[in-house]
Amino acid sequence: MASVQGDDDLVFHKICSLFEPLNQKGVRLTRETDFIADLEVDSVSVLDVVMDIEDNYDISIPVNTISEIRTIGDLVDAIHSIKKRQA
Amino acid sequence: MSLFEKFEKTAALYNQLSDAGMNPFTVVMETVLGPTRAVIRGKETVLAGTHNYLGQTFEPKAIAAAKEALDKEGTGTTGSRFANGTFSGHKRLEADLAAFLGMKHCVVFSTGFVANLGAIAGLIDPAEDVILIDADCHACIYDGCQLSGAETIRFRHNDPESLDKRLGRLDPKYKGKLVCIEGMYSMYGDTAPVKEFAEVAHRHGAYLLVDEAHSFGVYGAKGRGVSEADGVMDSIDFYTGTFSKALAAIGGFVASNHKELEYLRFSSRPYKFTASPSPATVASAGAALKVIKETPALKEKLWANTRRLHAALTQFGLRLAAPPAPVISVLIADRETAFAAWNFLLEHGVYVNMAIPPGTPGKDSLLRLAVSSAHTAEDLDRLVAAYGALAQAFPAARVAA
Repeated sequence: MASVQGDDDLVFHKICSLFEPLNQKGVRLTRETDFIADLEVDSVSVLDVVMDIEDNYDISIPVNTISEIRTIGDLVDAIHSIKKRQA
Repeated sequence: MSLFEKFEKTAALYNQLSDAGMNPFTVVMETVLGPTRAVIRGKETVLAGTHNYLGQTFEPKAIAAAKEALDKEGTGTTGSRFANGTFSGHKRLEADLAAFLGMKHCVVFSTGFVANLGAIAGLIDPAEDVILIDADCHACIYDGCQLSGAETIRFRHNDPESLDKRLGRLDPKYKGKLVCIEGMYSMYGDTAPVKEFAEVAHRHGAYLLVDEAHSFGVYGAKGRGVSEADGVMDSIDFYTGTFSKALAAIGGFVASNHKELEYLRFSSRPYKFTASPSPATVASAGAALKVIKETPALKEKLWANTRRLHAALTQFGLRLAAPPAPVISVLIADRETAFAAWNFLLEHGVYVNMAIPPGTPGKDSLLRLAVSSAHTAEDLDRLVAAYGALAQAFPAARVAA
């Protein structure tokens, strides 16, 4: 499981780096950080960052999936499950 | 009161703007004086945010046709297209639109919004199809996708390569693939590379839907939109449009060469379960379509007005979103400044649309000017003067030196 954990960390850090420019209030980013409640970014900004993530990992994350994602951890999990399916 | 809690943040802004008498989203046209003039806040104002591109709201032939239909067929159809709401006028308009576009089939809906909703949700089976949409597509396309229940994937705005990548990595399980783009996008006034999109979509076995709501009657030699201007009318699988811009009525349509388009008449809930456009509406839209066919001068005048305004605003150093198009948007980074600038224009006798994120493509707020062929020389002078004053008063609206 160690390798999965390591990969998980990489995805987590990648997502954090992509959301950092939108982190106006300097909130500490964790798996529990809620995009709308904590980062106060609007739904379209989340969609736009997800587009960068898609191209970074060469995956497609449907809008339907994104609308169910609330936290950074949710997004990390969604990326892993899509990568696994597309592998 | 947990039902209403979610509105609090937006309500605070909305009420604050209203209390200050500065809310762009509560404007009332107190008296309509003509296609480009109305009384707003007690003052005669030039309308430059009404998307009345060909100025047909007071077209005498359309008004006469509407009056005749009203007298002969009454005020409303009191039913949906699927039940008792299809009159001969609806069928005639479908035939006229199809002929105008050079397509075999056309289905008329009650609004442009409903046309996209009804086309997408009616064509798509969430169990086996997938939809790919341009990131900047209109809310009704997003809502059509949501209503369909199918997996929906966004690609980068006006970027055929981004679409290519996403189509390329699709799970082969999908049977039907639908790509949705627009002709001219109404926020920035930028246009899609329809030809490239058609090539990419078809290479992957996908169908292409182009929403020409803002470009119908405005682009292309015959006014068939950006698809015609790009020379690819024959490659469009589904062409959607509205009656509420160049045709100056209300309603919408989907046209196609696929005979299966007719299946929407039983598969599309937004077709089946809402009342059809009234006889007067259908008659005026039909008459306005005829005017577009017979009067190419309207489109030429629109473009002449567009070029003059775009050149003037560029000269003032205003930060514009796109090359000349009948929508000319000034970008302002700060929302509060944008509200003040919008009110400044209204005080100077000019009404434009105001748009703020997340309803806009980027982080900027927009002052959205919609040009009309009906703008007179005097209207244009007033617009130019107001924007000149704006450029002086609001350095934030100008391109950084």
